[in-house]
Amino acid sequence: MNTALSEPSRRSFLGLGLATGSSLLLAACGAGGAAGSGGASADTLKWGWALPTSWDPVTSSAGWDVHALSLVYAGLTKHDSQGTAVPALAESWAYSEKGSRVTFKLRSGLKFSDGTTLDATAVKKSIERGRDAPKSLIAAQLADVKTVSAPDPTTVVIDLRSPNYQIPSLFAGKTGMVVNPAAFESNAAGLATKPAGAGPYTLTSYVENSQATLKRNPNYWDAASIKVANFQLFPLPDAATVIAGLQSGRYNVAQIPGSQVAAAKAAGLEVQVIPSLVVAVLDVNITKPPFDDPNAALALKFAVDRAALLKTQQFGIGEVSYQPFPKGYVGYDPALEGIYAYDPAKARQLLAKSKYGIGAPVTITASATGNLPQQLQAQLQAVGFKPTIETIPQAEATQTFYIQHSKALAVDGFAGRDSTAQTFQVLFGAEGLMNPGRTTPPELNAAVQKIVQTPLDDPKYPQVVQAATAAAVRTMPNVFLFTTPRILAHTTSVSPLPKDTVVQRFEGVTLT
Amino acid sequence: MRTLRRALRLPSARLSAVVLVVVAVAAVFGHWLAPLDPLAQDSAHVLSGPSAGHLLGTDGLGRDVLSRLVAGTSSSIVATLEAVGTALLVGIVLGIGSLWLGRGYEWASLRFVDSLQTLPYVVFVVAVVGVLGNGLTQAMLAIGLLYSPIFFRVSRAASLALLRAQYVEAAELFGATRLWILRTHLWSKILPTIAVTAAQASAECLLAVQSLSFLGIGVQPPAPTWGGMLADDLGFLAQQPWAPLIPAITIMITVGALNAIADAISDSADLLVVDASPPQPGSAQEVSDAAVAVR
Repeated sequence: MNTALSEPSRRSFLGLGLATGSSLLLAACGAGGAAGSGGASADTLKWGWALPTSWDPVTSSAGWDVHALSLVYAGLTKHDSQGTAVPALAESWAYSEKGSRVTFKLRSGLKFSDGTTLDATAVKKSIERGRDAPKSLIAAQLADVKTVSAPDPTTVVIDLRSPNYQIPSLFAGKTGMVVNPAAFESNAAGLATKPAGAGPYTLTSYVENSQATLKRNPNYWDAASIKVANFQLFPLPDAATVIAGLQSGRYNVAQIPGSQVAAAKAAGLEVQVIPSLVVAVLDVNITKPPFDDPNAALALKFAVDRAALLKTQQFGIGEVSYQPFPKGYVGYDPALEGIYAYDPAKARQLLAKSKYGIGAPVTITASATGNLPQQLQAQLQAVGFKPTIETIPQAEATQTFYIQHSKALAVDGFAGRDSTAQTFQVLFGAEGLMNPGRTTPPELNAAVQKIVQTPLDDPKYPQVVQAATAAAVRTMPNVFLFTTPRILAHTTSVSPLPKDTVVQRFEGVTLT
Repeated sequence: MRTLRRALRLPSARLSAVVLVVVAVAAVFGHWLAPLDPLAQDSAHVLSGPSAGHLLGTDGLGRDVLSRLVAGTSSSIVATLEAVGTALLVGIVLGIGSLWLGRGYEWASLRFVDSLQTLPYVVFVVAVVGVLGNGLTQAMLAIGLLYSPIFFRVSRAASLALLRAQYVEAAELFGATRLWILRTHLWSKILPTIAVTAAQASAECLLAVQSLSFLGIGVQPPAPTWGGMLADDLGFLAQQPWAPLIPAITIMITVGALNAIADAISDSADLLVVDASPPQPGSAQEVSDAAVAVR
């Protein structure tokens, strides 16, 4: 660019223009063709997904990282396909009668990927680091942990400040990933690029923003279920090139947008639509105009035509949503279905009743270009809002949305959390990232507290969680739009992938 | 005007002029010329191909592509003009000032311009909109600032030669003000060079503006821009592989026309007086008219 600035060349620009046109034409013509084996070597799975912000679960700053980190770390528990905590490094656990102590029993003979022993002392140190490390981003989740003790090599006892039955769920995600103390005691900063866990794979090379190469960890507690010897992880492929990437063998599994499903199938690829906890949502700040008037905030909920958004944004893949959980998840309350069904007349009526009236200005803030803010703008305009769009750079989004809480209306997405209570805290808690208004009704706080104090295996647990969901949806301003399933396309050489709701896992996956 | 008339004798210049007139008409009257509302969404006709109702089809929100292309000309051209205007103003003022305002100012302005040339433009523009907010004016000010070194160097080089001419020194001795000298002796001589440079820079700025629109910087949605349309269309290659060609070819033709007209003007004009040789017998005007043109 600077060369061009200092020495403008007209003919080079003509050439550039022609080259651009030609390359687009070639790209356009190259959309067909059948998918073969993807050109992959038979023992390497190449996943176009996302590289983590850090390979250290304690300092990883994106919820999305859990998928990549689960390749190299194992936790005391893990999620089954429905999101229920099941044994992993711990073969069992038990709560004390009052729920303020939980005892995990580890499997015998556990080892980290470098061959060192993974015992109760290592688990204790790992949990304490997550709670106490100055830069820990999981400390808040471990605030209830008072003490951790290791009375014998396979027993971990966690004493809690108050009863909390969410610990096994919490430990199935980043919060519970066990990090080798030998690594963080010698060089904690190095974990950002050199993970030290006991997961199904070991990282062998890593090029930031480019790719990670992993090999099977023979010391993994469930090594027998890991069939693929080598693994490569890549950043999220561009929508325009992902199918070509799969066809050429750049990837043999990749996340694709809804717009590419038909093309993937036409190219002979297998497409799996896996329900996930990800949901598109509008973060609404009830301290900012016009949403400081409850009528305007309620008008917003009725103004959004979720079905139209789903059809256009995801080509109909997913479901219209009025709550943070997908169908089938324990927190999903069927009674909330259609609670804010599209009703432009009602929305207009509510807006007219607000102190801002018809024509209330509102800025829709989004961190990515795309059609969703524009479609929302048209819908809000139709009921009487006067909406404008503000696009902010992706790099500013975290600061703007989750720390400054400075926007009245933000287009966002919620990736779900390991524990149900944590989901409520993030979305609706007074300190929650996605609650820009910073207030929570007392009845919702009480409902969430009841979740924490109800054992996961209590028959009333689903009822308790659903009651909290209902309270949140009725009292909080967040506008849930539609669920975003995980759409994975893969070559025919890859066997069907497990349909894991929370974290994508690869146990049992084979390559031919 | 004489130079322009000479330039328009070239077939390439005539063709380019026609293209640029069409673009200019679309830029000024685009919103009236657009066959349909460029912002009107139609969820029943998303990504439909060309038809009688939509000659270039519809986009991912069911909006008429032809209408957006025509209406988008205005913002694309206004953005380009803003950037080039900023570059002209900053570059020429600093460039001519560097000759008249003393050695300290000259040194500082040269270092400032050198520094600008080291900045990667996308990073710089992202930083500017990060501080001032994302908007057309902010982004174009940043682009204009980055392009100002071109005008700085051209105006400085042209003026440097002229200011050493004896007729200018004579005018100074007779008490002419710098503004008078600038208006009478300088401006008319450097204008053709500036015009050619501006045409070249317009082509570059147009590309830069479209690149930034592609990244979501500058013009805010739903306002149509050619770069923004290109970005949107790339998400639907599977459905409409030909769609990105429409804004891409529009950009390509406009940039090509600007470059061709710049070529024609430079081929037809006597540019950049650098010969500060002693004046020939006769008036000062005769001297400048006889000066040698180089490119």
